Amino acid sequence: MSATPVWKRAGPAWLAAVLLLGVLAPILAPRPPDLQEDVAGARFLPPLSRAHLLVLQDGRPIVVTSLHAGSGGWEFVRAGESGQVAADRLSRAPEPRFYPLGTDSLGRDLLARLLFGLRHSVLIAALSVVLALALGVMVGAAAGLLGSRWDALLMAGVDALRSIPRLLLYLLCATLFPPSSLLMVIVLGATTWTGLARIVRAEMLALRGSDLAAAARAAGARPLRTVLRHLLPQMAPLLAVNGALRFADTLLLESALSLLGLGAPAPAISLGSIMASGREALSDAWWIVAWPGLLISSLLLSVRSTATLLFRVSDPPSIA
Amino acid sequence: MAGYVGRRILAAVPLLLLILTIVFLLVEMAPGDPFSQEPGAGAGPQAAGRLRQAFGADRPLPERFGSWLGAFLSGDLGTSYSQRRPVASLLRESLAKTAVLAGIALALQFLWGTAAGILAAALRSRLWDRVVVLVASLLYSFPSYWIGLVMVSLFSVRLGWLPVSQMHSVEAASMGAWSRLLDAVRHLILPCLSLTLPAAAGIALYVREEMRSILGRDLVRNALARGATRREILLKHSLTGALLPVVTLLGLALPGLVGGSAVLEVLFAWPGMGRLAYQAVLSRDAPLILGCAWVGSIAVVAGSLLADVLSVWADPRLRDRLK
Repeated sequence: MSATPVWKRAGPAWLAAVLLLGVLAPILAPRPPDLQEDVAGARFLPPLSRAHLLVLQDGRPIVVTSLHAGSGGWEFVRAGESGQVAADRLSRAPEPRFYPLGTDSLGRDLLARLLFGLRHSVLIAALSVVLALALGVMVGAAAGLLGSRWDALLMAGVDALRSIPRLLLYLLCATLFPPSSLLMVIVLGATTWTGLARIVRAEMLALRGSDLAAAARAAGARPLRTVLRHLLPQMAPLLAVNGALRFADTLLLESALSLLGLGAPAPAISLGSIMASGREALSDAWWIVAWPGLLISSLLLSVRSTATLLFRVSDPPSIA
Repeated sequence: MAGYVGRRILAAVPLLLLILTIVFLLVEMAPGDPFSQEPGAGAGPQAAGRLRQAFGADRPLPERFGSWLGAFLSGDLGTSYSQRRPVASLLRESLAKTAVLAGIALALQFLWGTAAGILAAALRSRLWDRVVVLVASLLYSFPSYWIGLVMVSLFSVRLGWLPVSQMHSVEAASMGAWSRLLDAVRHLILPCLSLTLPAAAGIALYVREEMRSILGRDLVRNALARGATRREILLKHSLTGALLPVVTLLGLALPGLVGGSAVLEVLFAWPGMGRLAYQAVLSRDAPLILGCAWVGSIAVVAGSLLADVLSVWADPRLRDRLK
């Protein structure tokens, strides 16, 4: 029916699937992301590891990688060393443990951490894009509509902000205030809106003199109503495409900042902070770094292809 | 042309001053100063006070801003609090080291990216075109810092072929000229590749798209009718048109390379500008932060000027409009 090949529609579908994974993280995660059942026994288990959880009578849980019943009770292998425990020293029957993506240096389940990290990173990126869109539309529309002196002043401010090296700006903001998830949203949002402001301004300048604006004015619409009800909706596809691309950039940045240890602090789990923990354990466990990176790339790929598709749909090439 | 460039440079001066003022105020807003973090060992509040006095950090804000700006404009960038060395010489050293990494990465990006883009556009087989686009899209979506980490884990940790970080080996000073060069190259490979691969993939996709759109135009049909060969059409007619936006990208990539390689510089302990700025901010080193902001914003302004000048140079239509 349409000219869009099927493989290009995989982008939006994959994006929706990944976003759903993030939304459903608390339900899908096999166990809490911060659960350290047995640091020594469960650390650095590779992907697809099967293990068993034994709870001793004093309540101490241990995770063992191999378990079978022997003559004197349970014989097991824990952290590469074999041992045994009498059956009556366990407070309950052994529980199976399966780590599809492996465990990290503290024996935490990476699948659970990844799901919650995805949720956190996507939420932060999405909220900061909303903030950037709001700021960009406000400033850009104001500059485009007020014109002359206000336009020059606002755009000079935008240019100055754009010319400050972005990373330095993030670094400064990240150290200015105590780190938190809210700060990340504000810092990322407040530093990425300038490009949007320029686009909205250019579009406003073009739309201001259009017949559409004239018609709205002739029908008696006030200036604010003209902008909000008649001109801004014209920009919706443009804003959607740019917002999507901004989302991809912001996701990358948020992970980079978290990787450098400048993101939201410890209880919060971001894809970047998982990568940071994997960086410290690079010689023991390649998988800790691998998963968050693959997840980020697949997100970027799907977001960008969705944006391209959106662009094609909203602005189809002329048939002539 | 010269007049245009002159006007642009003049217009950049107040912009740069505005940026420096913004950064100065941002740094001032930060709670605490480097002197309150001075390592304990007998250094009490009095010592911190003396240090503040020695560095002039105890005077009121407008006075400090005035004297800082005066010294700054006369070329004195001050002394770094944390490294106890003139900011100017720190900046010079780091800039040179960033230039090595970023310069090579930039050259490789545009070389590989353009070549792959042309190749993809020239391919007649749809399948191979798809393969190139798929590989490039994948590479483009990998974060550079992740590529860096994965390559370190593979080539340094697992295989032991390449060094993990730094610019030279510890024993580099005692090596001969050739082995020192080899040592430097070995240290360059991983950070350079991590910077280059995603960016080159992005450029390749861009060049391919541009070439494709030009190949569909009438001018190509005309050239074919006049008997131009395929090679001529690809390299002369399409490429000149497709390089125009690429040339603009080159200018815009400049600030990205000064600041954008910062994450990789930190990961690979490469002693460049990005890492310097990172350390400056972490140690609340106001003179050094301002120095980094100065260099970085010049790079941004110069980059956008370069982009405009290059596109005027590459596009005759813009040249006419300028007159």
